[in-house]
Amino acid sequence: MNIIEAKNLTFSYTDKPLLADLTFSVPAGSFVAIAGPNGVGKTTLLNLLSALLKTQSGSIILDGKGIRSFSAAMLARKIAVVRQEFIPPFGFSVIQTVLMARTPYYNRLGFETPADKEIAAGALKATDIADLAERQLAQISGGERQRVFIARALAQKTPILLLDEPTSFLDLRHQVKIYDLLKKMQIEEKKTVIAITHDINLAAQYCDNVLLLAQDARYYQGTPNDVFSTETIGKVYGIGGFSGAVRTQKFFLPLGKYARDYRVIRHTSACENKT
Amino acid sequence: MKIIANKWFWLAVFVLSWTVAGVAMFSDDTTAITEHGGPCPQRIVAMAPNLTEILFALGLEDNIVGVTEYSNHPPSARQKPVMGTFWQPNIEAVVAARPDLVVALGFNRQAGLAHRLARLNFNTLTVNIETIPQLLDAIEKIGTVTNKTAAARRLSERLRNNLDNISRRVAAGHRPKVLYIIQIEPLRVAGRQTFINELIELAGGENAIAPTINKYPPVGPEQVIASNPDVIIQPVMDVMEKADLTAGKQQLVEYFDRFQSIAAVSGNRIYVIDGDAVSRLGPRIDQAAETVARCLSPELFEEP
Amino acid sequence: MTKLLTPPTLLTRILLATVMLAAVMLACSLLGTEHISLKKALEPSHPGVVNPDYEIFFRVRGPRIILAAIVGAALACSGAVLQALLRNPLADPYILGISSGAGLGAIIAITIFSRLNWMLWGRSPIAFFAFVGALATAGLVWTVARLTGKSQVTHLLLAGVVVNAFFSAMIMFLTSIANSSQVQRTIFWLMGNIIEEDPLVLWTSGGFVLAGIFALFFISPQLNALSFSEVDAKAMGINTAATQTVAFVLAALITAVAVSLSGLVGFAGLIVPHGVRLVFGPDHRQLLPLSALIGAGFLVAADTLARIVVAPAQLPVGVVTALIGGPFFLVLLVRYSRRIDWLAK
Repeated sequence: MNIIEAKNLTFSYTDKPLLADLTFSVPAGSFVAIAGPNGVGKTTLLNLLSALLKTQSGSIILDGKGIRSFSAAMLARKIAVVRQEFIPPFGFSVIQTVLMARTPYYNRLGFETPADKEIAAGALKATDIADLAERQLAQISGGERQRVFIARALAQKTPILLLDEPTSFLDLRHQVKIYDLLKKMQIEEKKTVIAITHDINLAAQYCDNVLLLAQDARYYQGTPNDVFSTETIGKVYGIGGFSGAVRTQKFFLPLGKYARDYRVIRHTSACENKT
Repeated sequence: MKIIANKWFWLAVFVLSWTVAGVAMFSDDTTAITEHGGPCPQRIVAMAPNLTEILFALGLEDNIVGVTEYSNHPPSARQKPVMGTFWQPNIEAVVAARPDLVVALGFNRQAGLAHRLARLNFNTLTVNIETIPQLLDAIEKIGTVTNKTAAARRLSERLRNNLDNISRRVAAGHRPKVLYIIQIEPLRVAGRQTFINELIELAGGENAIAPTINKYPPVGPEQVIASNPDVIIQPVMDVMEKADLTAGKQQLVEYFDRFQSIAAVSGNRIYVIDGDAVSRLGPRIDQAAETVARCLSPELFEEP
Repeated sequence: MTKLLTPPTLLTRILLATVMLAAVMLACSLLGTEHISLKKALEPSHPGVVNPDYEIFFRVRGPRIILAAIVGAALACSGAVLQALLRNPLADPYILGISSGAGLGAIIAITIFSRLNWMLWGRSPIAFFAFVGALATAGLVWTVARLTGKSQVTHLLLAGVVVNAFFSAMIMFLTSIANSSQVQRTIFWLMGNIIEEDPLVLWTSGGFVLAGIFALFFISPQLNALSFSEVDAKAMGINTAATQTVAFVLAALITAVAVSLSGLVGFAGLIVPHGVRLVFGPDHRQLLPLSALIGAGFLVAADTLARIVVAPAQLPVGVVTALIGGPFFLVLLVRYSRRIDWLAK
């Protein structure tokens, strides 16, 4: 069953269309990666899926209903969004920020219920920032802040998570931990996770499906192994590199002209050309 | 937004019942200002310098227990307790003075003050003194309330007579055009709707400036030249000694030096006068009129 | 403070602030140009004998202090709300045109209607016109911003700047053709003045301001999220459009009440929320009530200073708040610029 279906999505900011006739579906409980070079419309697509942007033509069906029929409150019960971290104008703390996600569930007096506090504590633990609970957002690192935003989305307790490059500021350890967490959410809590990512190798290891957006509103979709072929990567990203296989999944290491092992590419492509 | 019907409803109920309770408790407080013609007031507070002068002139010196700042005439008024300024009266001081009569200027100048005083249950008399007839009227009103009707009538009659005399004296003469300077930078003059205009006309002159919206319009050099006044008069305040007047005249002459084309400059008819009596609509208005008349028609006032 | 706020903590702090406010009000009621004693003021009154201590305490200083408290509470609270709505710590209650709208209303009443010698229910029409002017202008700015569509905040600010500029020009025009006493009255109104009002006015305006503060407290959780980020608040299920509208209307209302009673008292709505946030944090469930209580105390103290400092003359209270508020604000600015959390991205 598809929890999200996008049909013939077209969107443009100027007269040149960014997304044209984009059709794809997200099966419920799957982990989808949205990849592609800069400026190709990934964040725009995310904003359309989270109803921040109005569709210009085409439709988005969420759980069988058109996305426009959802009120903000209803939508918030279905989708939680994690965008790029930032420092807010006022000095909220980590725990205050995470608990904001529970605002629709506060009690009559406008205060957090014990259940809310428990959910928030769980989210902090899952993102490994429980010890930062009372620090102000301005006083922690960008990576830690990103985890706060993720924790906030988790606290919303929605079946769908949308994330915009959630690991861009994180160190290796936390990159893996976040993907592990997202995968865990998918497996244990049956969440549907849609993440925009630049890391195609991590996407290959964790995601079930990939939607690769390219210039001129082209796109590719399929499993990571299908989509991330050297050829496609070369076409879409315009770079070459070394591809290999780990065990079940491929990996790709981009190499530029001055990279130490650059020669591997010419050798490999020479081999490929021969076959 | 989770708007629970309950708390907003109860808030509305609160506001409504609070307001109704307030109206029930306090709405009898609309005291109108009454001009009590009560028994002879013993403790009087005057809320403006010209009112102080009038009270003194009616012989009520000993009854005055409060004046506002700049009540400098007659000199003994300076000894009286000060109740703040004309624009920002010190109500506490007024209360502490325990007056049984407070005299204030009316709506146009001290609007609200009369109401504040009345709300505190003070016996308040408000008078409007914007023109000379209103001044004479006010003197009589004050006289009635303070039980000095006779003195008031004498005073207003004396003023009326003196003013009439001056008028008569200058009636035969020509009517010089007068530019009455209120302020130099920027240049502001007294317009036609002021009591100063009344003084000018009483003194046999005519305002050089045509009717304007403002009472004290700012004027530009073109209007000065176009109006071509015969006489220029400027009052100088805080005159301690003759030197102040001479200095003031010097400044004025220098300023108008550039306007060689106008009659007042070429005929050397530029005068500065002591502003104290002239700027106030009070019992010295006859002196004020005479001062102005002397500037306009000096030949009619030649004294041996 | 970054610990999570709980109802008992909030209640305790509100109680303490209320007690402090009461103490300040009592102390200030015993200060003034005339020396009075509380004992004498409370003596029973004898018919025909005027007790000046009683009169001054209950009829002159008392009402002034209560009015100062109401105005201070209203301005501080609405300042905090505007800062949240605009996500900008530099906002004050007047930023969206309310000051120039109220000023225009006041000067229209002073110049045009004074000639007619008109009284509105036994009171000068200035307060009424200022109130209407304030609300009308706030509505105008809001509508203009709405018409321009997206990015509410930027357009709100721009609309506010434009309206303020235009109305200020009209105020200048009317001032230039007004006569001197009208000009004086306008200037004093613009500087902010607290005078003794009658009990009905104090009671009803106090009630409105109190209700407004309560209503704003009801939407404080939403204000928290809104002051963080509008996009995120929406994504978390909060009806941002409704919250913004309700918050703005309430803030405009209580500011209009304050301004119609006291003229334009500046700085109270800007620095009091700052100070409270510095000590207690940005949670509006706490920020709003405490700002109101501390704002009230601040203005009572400022008005007392205004009454005493250049006795027997009196300063307009807006002068005192500006003299205190200006340097305080400068210090805040310097202090804050060292703390990263002040930079709005």
